[in-house]
Amino acid sequence: MKGFTAYLRAIWHVIQKDIRVEWRGRQGVPVMLVFSLLIVFLFNFALQLSPDLQAGLSAGLLWVSLAFASTLGLNRSVSLERENNALDGLLLAPVDRSAIYFGKALSNFAFTFLVALILLPVFSLFYVQNMLKLPLILFILLGVGAYTSLGTLLATLSIQARTRDVLLPILLYPLALPILIAAVEGSRGALIGQPLAELQSWLFLLLASNILFHAAGLMFFETILEE
Amino acid sequence: MPEPHSDPARIVLAGLVKRYHNRPVLDHLSLSLEGGQFCILVGANGAGKTTLLRILATLTRPDEGEIQFFGEAWEPFPALREKIGYIGHKPMFYLDLTAAENLHHYARLYHCDDPSEQIQTALHAAGLQNDQHKPVRTFSRGMQQRLSIARALLHEPEILLFDEPYTGLDQPAAQTLDRRLRDLRSPKRIILMSAHRPQRLLTIATHIAWLQNGIISHHLPVAELHTAPALQDYLQETA
Repeated sequence: MKGFTAYLRAIWHVIQKDIRVEWRGRQGVPVMLVFSLLIVFLFNFALQLSPDLQAGLSAGLLWVSLAFASTLGLNRSVSLERENNALDGLLLAPVDRSAIYFGKALSNFAFTFLVALILLPVFSLFYVQNMLKLPLILFILLGVGAYTSLGTLLATLSIQARTRDVLLPILLYPLALPILIAAVEGSRGALIGQPLAELQSWLFLLLASNILFHAAGLMFFETILEE
Repeated sequence: MPEPHSDPARIVLAGLVKRYHNRPVLDHLSLSLEGGQFCILVGANGAGKTTLLRILATLTRPDEGEIQFFGEAWEPFPALREKIGYIGHKPMFYLDLTAAENLHHYARLYHCDDPSEQIQTALHAAGLQNDQHKPVRTFSRGMQQRLSIARALLHEPEILLFDEPYTGLDQPAAQTLDRRLRDLRSPKRIILMSAHRPQRLLTIATHIAWLQNGIISHHLPVAELHTAPALQDYLQETA
């Protein structure tokens, strides 16, 4: 029990550090936000949508914005640890290395989810529909959780590569496709008011992805980092 | 997970092999270090000094060979890392955070009992107490190096590993580091330091080890350096 408390504390220390660095530098969330807002504005002017098409398309647009913004955040998260070999500092610490993975994954999740929460009212305004719906927020929670857990693992994998900036999207987007499909379908259903019972297959797919990728992080994070 | 050891500091390496792209950098290397030794690790560029230090710091896993820390087989358990302090080529700090914030982050990860007290002591020893609230980004190389040593010593490790700590330091900063290293010597502590130009350390260190062709070809007390003319010649060349 003492060991588990220490493990949770280590996760929290990594999250705290990431939040503090973000607060000081303001180089992650603002960039993610500007980028995703730009997508919302551009598509709003480019597509003159009829109301019946809006629900389907706004779910897709929301996830395009979130996926790209999150990838930017993941790249930033990796470059932060690469700068000055800060990652070595974490790896030297007497904590289970999977705690570092969970700390990084959770802070990446928190930053992307924060962007999503700011994005939702803007979407509501531009696409003239209420996006602040609990089922939609549930799909965002699960979708962002699965996406960032996979993304953190792959970002760590690419950390030593010379082509890391292009490597991450090349690895991440194909592997995240099932997550994005489930998230878009679930979000579209939530927007047109389908009951959750009808959307449970997408919900279970996202839940399973969360479990799968977090378990992969738990098992492989240390191996990935070993030279 | 094993509990921290109470045995005296002791490192034994036997038949250590590490390959990169199928090329052995360390090729059946053996070395034994005892508490109280301050050993300078010398060798040409690319000889494998950094690889050896990273293996000992549990940052790199060897391909073959045996490592014993404190008389027990090496496994990179978290408890073992509590005994090790490592200062690498780069300072491992978050540049946007202040010196104190960076040390706080590490003190928490190292489960320090009284982080604030230990951080103030470490900052004082590093001569950085007046700069503790400045972002590390604004620090000179010498200040970052002193902060690195403060970080590595926060948890009072028994094994201290330095990788070329003099690189990029000007003369006053190098002299400060000399004094700090003298203070760090202790009968309970092993210090292993790689140095490309080790002459200035010969008056501080107790032992010297020469890494060449993937093995430690010489490992002897500094006082017995005269018995190894090849090593003496090498030290002359690098002077």
